[in-house]
Amino acid sequence: MSAFGFGRIAAAAFLVLGFAVVEVAAGPAEIAQIKPRQDKLRDMGGALKAINDEIKKGRIDWDNTVIPNAQTIKDRSAYLLNWFPKGSGPETGKKTYALPAIWQKNDDFQKLGKAAQAEAAKLNDIALKKDEAGLKAQALATGKACKACHDNYRSPDYEKENEDE
Amino acid sequence: MTTSEAGRMETALADTADLRVWDMPVRAMHWLLAIGIGVCWWSGVNNELEYHLWSGYAVLWIVLMRLYWGLVGSSTARFVNFVRGPKAILDYASTLHRRDTPHSYGHNALGAISIVLMLGLVLTVVGLGLFAVDVDGLYSGPLSSYVTFKQGRHLAHSHYYWFEILLWVIGLHLAAVLFYFIYKRQNLVVPMITGKRQGRHQGGHEEMTIAPLWRFVIGAVAATAIVYAVSIGFYF
Repeated sequence: MSAFGFGRIAAAAFLVLGFAVVEVAAGPAEIAQIKPRQDKLRDMGGALKAINDEIKKGRIDWDNTVIPNAQTIKDRSAYLLNWFPKGSGPETGKKTYALPAIWQKNDDFQKLGKAAQAEAAKLNDIALKKDEAGLKAQALATGKACKACHDNYRSPDYEKENEDE
Repeated sequence: MTTSEAGRMETALADTADLRVWDMPVRAMHWLLAIGIGVCWWSGVNNELEYHLWSGYAVLWIVLMRLYWGLVGSSTARFVNFVRGPKAILDYASTLHRRDTPHSYGHNALGAISIVLMLGLVLTVVGLGLFAVDVDGLYSGPLSSYVTFKQGRHLAHSHYYWFEILLWVIGLHLAAVLFYFIYKRQNLVVPMITGKRQGRHQGGHEEMTIAPLWRFVIGAVAATAIVYAVSIGFYF
């Protein structure tokens, strides 16, 4: 009956496998990445939520909400790939949802990261143009670009609480 | 059990007769809810949130309809006819180990607890889901614009936490059905499909009064309107 038992065991097996494959010592510089990257990514998620909230409301506040939030997503996404140096995964012993697959399939991870940057830049352009129809489509495309990475390289968090909350 | 010849004959004849227990809406809602929760579970753990939203709306609709039907539906569907007090529950529980107890007409006193518990939990899980925010801020619940990203993430975790509890109660429900089948030789699944079971009327139970379909239709229209309003976050 328990869906969680299986998930936990699979996650543990995955983790052990990750340790075996990626043998990188976690230094203080790598550990120091974890907390700020979580904060920045959370800000990006919050920014996209804020834009989607405006779309839901049907009364879009461009100047106070959409433009600054699109700017946040674009600016942060430019640094996205710098936040995941080798050795900043679960091997640090810190609580992180970053999966070892990030470094095992790093080419794919980099590709998805760059795709997200491109979508974020487009979102910013559309926000500046105040193009309402374009915004709906691009908010979706940007969110999907975020999700593409999260689906494969972020541990599903439905059974965990965020650490700093 | 009567010992007279005539009584035995009557019992034997009555035992082969069909007894209506569940009306069509109750059966349909039961199985649709089971399927709906299954789709929600699958789409949730696989992060297929677009489908998760739709299946969530379906489950909300069904639960609202079941609550409505619990007030105005056919006699065996109504809460007043099956929700019992502590004494009746304890009395029923004390006969649970016996194999010769008669079939309850409609929900038994213990089953009623599980119905109320499951409906309450489903409503709780759906309610939390309406405000839940996904990690991407992409496919958030329809009412998530009323909470912050951080609050919404918390609610998403609670959404999953209560779903786990719901799964345990559903597990208990399935175990109970199996227990009745194996230990008490009472098949509860077939009546939930056909609406009928073989048996005879016991004293104190009137025949099921079937609520008219138009009453269901009125509820369906109202429930659809409510779910629609929720789905657009009440931004008309």
